[in-house]
Amino acid sequence: MKKQFIPFAYLSPTLFLIAVLSFIPIATVFYYSLMDNVIITRTDPTFVGLSNYIEILSDDKFLQALRNTLFLAIVSVIGHFLLGLSFAMLLNAKTLNPITKAIFRVIYILPWVFTASIIAILWRLLLNPNGAVNYLMSISRLADSPTEWLSSRDLALNTVTFINIWAGYPFYMVSFLAGLQGIPNDLYEAGKVDGASGVQLFRFVTLPQLKPIIISLGMLDFIWTTHQFTLIWMTTGGGPIRATEMLSTFTYKLAFSSNEFSLASTTAMVILALSLFVAIFYVRNQRLSSE
Amino acid sequence: MRKYAVVLLMTLALLIAVGGAVLAQDVTLEFQQWWEPELPEGAFRALMDEFEAQNPGITVELISGPYSTTRDQIVAGAATGTMADVVGLDGAWVNDFVQQGSLADLSALMSAAMFDDSELAAQIQLNGSTYMIPVVNFVYPVFVNLDLMEAAGIEAAPMTRAEFADAAAQLTDTANNVYGWVLPLSLEQPNGIQNDVMSWVWASGGSMMADGLPNLVDNEDVSSAIEFIKGLYDAGVIAPGAFTMREQDKVEEFTNGRVGMMVDSLAHINLIRERNPELNFAITALPATEGYDGPRGLPYASWGIGVAENSEHQEEAWKLVEFLMSADINTQLSSIANAFPGNVNSTPDFVETDELFAAAFEVFQTGYLANEFTGLPVAENLMREFDEEFQLYLDGDSSLEDFLANAQEAWMSHFE
Amino acid sequence: MTSRLGTIHLTKILLYVGLVAGALFAGLPVLWMVASSFKSNTEIFAYPPQLIDDSFSFAAYSAVLTNPQQQRFFFNSYLVSFVVTLFTLITGILAGYAFSRYDFKFKSTLNLIIIGVQSVPPITLMIPYFGLIVSLQLYNSYWALILTYMVFTLPYAIIMMTGYFNTLPRDLDEAVMIDGGSSFIILWRILVPISLPGIVSVGVYTFMLAWNEFLFALTLTRTNDMRTVPVGIQLLMGQHSFEWNQMMAMSVLGSLPVLILFLLFQRYFIAGMSAGSIKG
Repeated sequence: MKKQFIPFAYLSPTLFLIAVLSFIPIATVFYYSLMDNVIITRTDPTFVGLSNYIEILSDDKFLQALRNTLFLAIVSVIGHFLLGLSFAMLLNAKTLNPITKAIFRVIYILPWVFTASIIAILWRLLLNPNGAVNYLMSISRLADSPTEWLSSRDLALNTVTFINIWAGYPFYMVSFLAGLQGIPNDLYEAGKVDGASGVQLFRFVTLPQLKPIIISLGMLDFIWTTHQFTLIWMTTGGGPIRATEMLSTFTYKLAFSSNEFSLASTTAMVILALSLFVAIFYVRNQRLSSE
Repeated sequence: MRKYAVVLLMTLALLIAVGGAVLAQDVTLEFQQWWEPELPEGAFRALMDEFEAQNPGITVELISGPYSTTRDQIVAGAATGTMADVVGLDGAWVNDFVQQGSLADLSALMSAAMFDDSELAAQIQLNGSTYMIPVVNFVYPVFVNLDLMEAAGIEAAPMTRAEFADAAAQLTDTANNVYGWVLPLSLEQPNGIQNDVMSWVWASGGSMMADGLPNLVDNEDVSSAIEFIKGLYDAGVIAPGAFTMREQDKVEEFTNGRVGMMVDSLAHINLIRERNPELNFAITALPATEGYDGPRGLPYASWGIGVAENSEHQEEAWKLVEFLMSADINTQLSSIANAFPGNVNSTPDFVETDELFAAAFEVFQTGYLANEFTGLPVAENLMREFDEEFQLYLDGDSSLEDFLANAQEAWMSHFE
Repeated sequence: MTSRLGTIHLTKILLYVGLVAGALFAGLPVLWMVASSFKSNTEIFAYPPQLIDDSFSFAAYSAVLTNPQQQRFFFNSYLVSFVVTLFTLITGILAGYAFSRYDFKFKSTLNLIIIGVQSVPPITLMIPYFGLIVSLQLYNSYWALILTYMVFTLPYAIIMMTGYFNTLPRDLDEAVMIDGGSSFIILWRILVPISLPGIVSVGVYTFMLAWNEFLFALTLTRTNDMRTVPVGIQLLMGQHSFEWNQMMAMSVLGSLPVLILFLLFQRYFIAGMSAGSIKG
């Protein structure tokens, strides 16, 4: 009986915090999603059932935002993973002396230490038609006329995805660095004894050992990226012409620009459902691997 | 005798106690605005100190935030019953807050305080009641870079659209990275639609509304202005990056001498001078259609003020509004903000001492203030929806008819 | 033999090429930010752009550093980020231990809930959340920010701590158990020291998030004496114009403590601590 109680004792601070500060607001948002006339209205809310959901799910703009968000999230997760792992491996190389490592490590985490709004401002400056990137391209004869990285419909989504990858990979890198330290040396030595090449060691030792971290990071990053708001909003505002419209910017506009708070809550619930789907997949995977 | 003295003393003590209690009932007014950080440091607080000195027992707590998030903060405050007593407002927000029931009826407060409203230059009314009073106004004339004009061989500032288009074409020199005009269409801050696009309609005496409803389709005023801008866009005389450009970026392009002409807020005059003292520029009215000689609508943005419906100190709140609107204080505020006053009897110092402002004041006096977005429901969203369709049209993926029909449909959905 | 040496040489060259390329990718934009913080607001937009130009000055830095309000923003950021990091680590370690070492009812459900609560976009939670903080009488206090950030950082901390604890063999626990140690001693004396690299990386993440969060920092505070650096940066973005160089200077200054922190703690990533202890 007592044994049953111990884990809950350890969990109690977490559960308390989440019950009060997460559950109540989420339940409120869920309630809003079933109502009409909330927040910005003088009339009382009325219960409308699922009609907000029908309205949102049949809205073309929502579907486009969903597609853009999936693109941003999936490409970002892959980009973060590749860059984070490559940089972690580079920094983990045994041939480097500690001081070189320390210097590069600090340089590599630089994109991570700035608040999203300043990253947006910085990249707007860099990618401006008269900015440094276009200048470099013009003096190196890569392009004749300035490229409108953020204000062209064809490029904007790729550009904001690139910025998001730039801003987020250090988080993976730091986690992988810690993870790489945790891989027992015996595994590599045993591999070498068996005559494994560097690539094989990477494939059969490093990757499987990092797998739990990779899966956790990937899932969390996917969820976080679907929430990415400030970076998108302050670089393109969801434009040009909805080219970079995300679920987050779409929701924000519904809530604070068109005063449709019920519909905004409904999109929030749809995003919650999507993220939960990913989370269920993750928890399943974890249970299987622990068995 | 001693008895009387005791009674007297007791009465005195009682009086002091009551008086003290009355005095102790200090009122603290919360004033949420974005103005304090926009003004020179300490300048707005100094005005509040003056108000406190004139009104003992009232203290003002300034709640200052960035402009870009002020509206959201007021919405959240009103939704949770923590809205400040007095709030700074943009004309584009008023309708939404009135819908939310969060703004007090200022007409009622004015008559309760027996205030004479003839001094007010403008009042923003909905259903016959005033909800916002513009404290100071920022008008948007055309700024021209005189050096670029001279280099391009243009002698006089354009007065008609055709002259403007010609001038823009002559000013444009892509080899040297100079463009005739600059058009900020950022969807994050869609106020370019109001200041840089619709202003062309108003400058020729046109309107985008009819009987209080949107009127974009089959409206010659609107379609001619839109086609005019499309012509400039297609001619390549608009600086690149328009679709994500903001007002703050626009002014940097002009300050750096890469743009010949821009429609811009007078608030920027000092900023441009400070950032590029060598820039030689002038101010002129927005060009009108050929042959139009009526008064020209001049787009403007205001720092407006309103009082919270659920404020417990509406009477004191009104005193603060009245203070800010009084001729003397309004003169001071518009002088430090480089804006035009909201009190008709105020004349800011710079009008007399500064040539450029004097020119602007003349433009201001011969025209009339025009901003049809003020007081419309979800005004910012209207601009954004129009902006999206407009970008599609400029990009060549939509015809003029489709564009205006789509915008009209989107707008109508917000009017019942 | 020579060919073997040649290969090693080539690998080393490739390694350095990769390192430098990566450093350019990561560092050049930041270098541009630093350069801009020394320019005048006009020169930031000059074309052709120059890294360093005539307008070079420390004016933006002195404007930020001599302003008592800005100093307060920095102080608040330190305080809030530090407390959030500490509390998140303690709470996260306790919860991660429960998930890693115990089987109990609703385990997967709870796990799912902890991951799930962070799945609602913060922007939509703002209004109900704001109302909640007001009714808890936490509005405009450090606690509002600290508890809020813990809600954001805990799920990651728990997932990561569970993951790290899972990689540690249970033999360790049993050895202590046989010696008569309680479960708390196992956690505190054995698992926590071994997991330091993981704990540090969670700590760095938490500190970073708390240091850089903007939306709630603005919404949940009312007066400037409770606000943090990101709000301070945003206050430099005015309705009509931006103080570009001061924004850049402030974020450069804001990044320094984070970088110093990282420099101090990075040895935990280097030493093969966990690997060593597991072997021993």
